[in-house]
Amino acid sequence: MTDETDRKAQFETEALVHLDALYGLALRLTGGDAARSEDLVQDAVLKAYRAWDDFQLGTNCRAWLMTILRNTFINQFRSQQRRPSPVEFDEIGDRSVFAEVSGDDPAGEFFERIIDDEVIAAIDALPDEFRVAVVLSDLEGLSYQEVAEIMGIPVGTVKSRLFRARKRLQAQLYEYAREMGYVS
Amino acid sequence: MSDRQGGETLDPISCAEAVEKVYEYLDGELDAGWTERVHRHIEVCRRCYPYFNFERIFLDHVRSLRLPDEHSERLERSVHRALGLGD
Repeated sequence: MTDETDRKAQFETEALVHLDALYGLALRLTGGDAARSEDLVQDAVLKAYRAWDDFQLGTNCRAWLMTILRNTFINQFRSQQRRPSPVEFDEIGDRSVFAEVSGDDPAGEFFERIIDDEVIAAIDALPDEFRVAVVLSDLEGLSYQEVAEIMGIPVGTVKSRLFRARKRLQAQLYEYAREMGYVS
Repeated sequence: MSDRQGGETLDPISCAEAVEKVYEYLDGELDAGWTERVHRHIEVCRRCYPYFNFERIFLDHVRSLRLPDEHSERLERSVHRALGLGD
């Protein structure tokens, strides 16, 4: 067996077992765009393979791959990013769902009845800048500082994007809960 | 008299100050002094405690999402092809 064959076999065993997780993150970062997610995963995997000699076996391969995928996405995202229009910002109001439900459901029990697919659809529907902040913070568990560094924005901007994204998510989930009769 | 923790004053905060910090508090992003100040406020505030609880339940729900992440055979084939691996 050649060195290259060994290298490929090792990469297949250690790295390609994480394709599911990589694709899951790619789907959320791209807002559910399957074709773009597949391209993103493929780009990230090829980068990882080229850098495989730098990876230390025994360390967290999944985390290493996720970092490469995130960075690949952000590089594309930054180069394609346009300035959000004032309309997009205006649409994300600071509506307080709590104020509307605090009489009937102050503990937000209606959230528990909303299925994951609806939450995912609401996240996917967020404008890019807001969705990426939510995915990195709430789904990937990164700190504000880490999100700021990855997105190339100040920590204060991360805070405001998370605030507005979460308020928007709450409003969408509340509307869904009302339609389903989970809350009056 | 102000309470002190590590030389830092722990003056009581207003509802507006607590509400402004809600996500930083729930995300664990506040320093120890501010965490304690917010904590002390919501412990005794009838208005803020339910609000913080509501926001915590919302965040827990989002963070507990189980993401569908099954990749397609097409992706697996294209990755294998790109790496020169057998199917």
